[in-house]
Amino acid sequence: MQQDKPNLLTAFILSLGLSLFAIGTVNAHHSFPATYVMDEEQTIEGTMVQFLFRNPHSFVHVMVTDEETGENQRWAVEWGGASALAGSVDRSSLKPGDQVRISGQPGRNPEDHRLRMQSLEVIDGDFEWNGDFD
Amino acid sequence: MKNTILTKLVFFTLILLGSTIAIAQEINFAGDWSAIYHEDAPERIPGPPLSDFAGLPLNEAAIMRANTWDPNRISVVPEFQCREHGGDYSMRGLAHMRIERVIDPRSQQAIAFKTRMNFHNMERTIWLDGRDHPPADAPHTWDGFSTAHFENGMMVVYTTHQKESYTRRNGVPASSERTFTEYWYIHENYLTVLTVVDDPVFYTEPLVRSQNWVLNPALRITSNNCEYVLETPIGDDGQIVPHYLPGQNPFLTETAEIYHLPYEGMMGGAETMYPEFRDQLGEPLGDSRFCTLDCE
Repeated sequence: MQQDKPNLLTAFILSLGLSLFAIGTVNAHHSFPATYVMDEEQTIEGTMVQFLFRNPHSFVHVMVTDEETGENQRWAVEWGGASALAGSVDRSSLKPGDQVRISGQPGRNPEDHRLRMQSLEVIDGDFEWNGDFD
Repeated sequence: MKNTILTKLVFFTLILLGSTIAIAQEINFAGDWSAIYHEDAPERIPGPPLSDFAGLPLNEAAIMRANTWDPNRISVVPEFQCREHGGDYSMRGLAHMRIERVIDPRSQQAIAFKTRMNFHNMERTIWLDGRDHPPADAPHTWDGFSTAHFENGMMVVYTTHQKESYTRRNGVPASSERTFTEYWYIHENYLTVLTVVDDPVFYTEPLVRSQNWVLNPALRITSNNCEYVLETPIGDDGQIVPHYLPGQNPFLTETAEIYHLPYEGMMGGAETMYPEFRDQLGEPLGDSRFCTLDCE
């Protein structure tokens, strides 16, 4: 299992490079490996409260209720920039109040409550997305 | 009379020959160029890990700045969200590039190249008309002020007046005092730019890197307008700049542990740029999660 990581990294870089070859939509906002724990995954479910569809990166803010304490916590999920997502996502893809399930790589500090988007599903809705972005 | 005509003929022939040679020395870089990321690919996409400063000629001040940097800073501080790359970093970063040649309508001579990169609509002008650089206290910009001439089949570009920026996207700083010299040359459909950055504030010696593009008529540089928003609720009172105090960054050894590399090498310094540094390395840190060859 551990031996797969370099191959996955190589495949990721090659596929990203090929997909970016013809379209100038690369967004170098910040470094993802510096910001997120790239080899971990976390899933949250909650209510979508804000969708920031913009460059250099979009953000989805989700209010998640802690099942044990009942307290609400606002999460920020980083997504591709509007330029990079164009064609598969637009401003109307998500609406405030949507119940969403999101998986992604967690931020370094758990108390920051941030993820890097890997997949999104509108529960009881039509929209879903999974993929990668720079 | 004959001598006069002959003299004029020789004179004009020499002028024509001279101008032809001058034009032949110029290189037209105009076109749409796709960046090739085979050099330091993980650093450029998706970005460098924290606390990896290997191969950079950093002094103590630069390493301290980098070690106190928190990646949340870009999300929380609006001024950093839509910041363009520096002129030197943009050539290294995610840099598909459109180059236009500016022609003086009267002389039909090239007086500049204008480059445009997608990220935050970065545009840069490289002047070819022999103008001087501005005074030292003139305003600085992200891309700086660039002039160039042709030499030995290359365009040699010299850039000053950049704003403070970054050397690597994990907090390694670059000062507003830095300058850089570039050597642009074309071989078949490929463009290579060798960059030599000199930063008297943060480097102990120049940083030399090269990067490549391939001519790509299908490339489309799109508009990329950046919007300032509150990306995350971290520090939503607008009163904090995320950081670590010296010695309190808990992630300093993380990259060394992940890649099974000696911590001293990851902290950078000019010696880490050279092969001889391998002889000075101590025992590696951590496990070998990412190691596949000669790990033990």
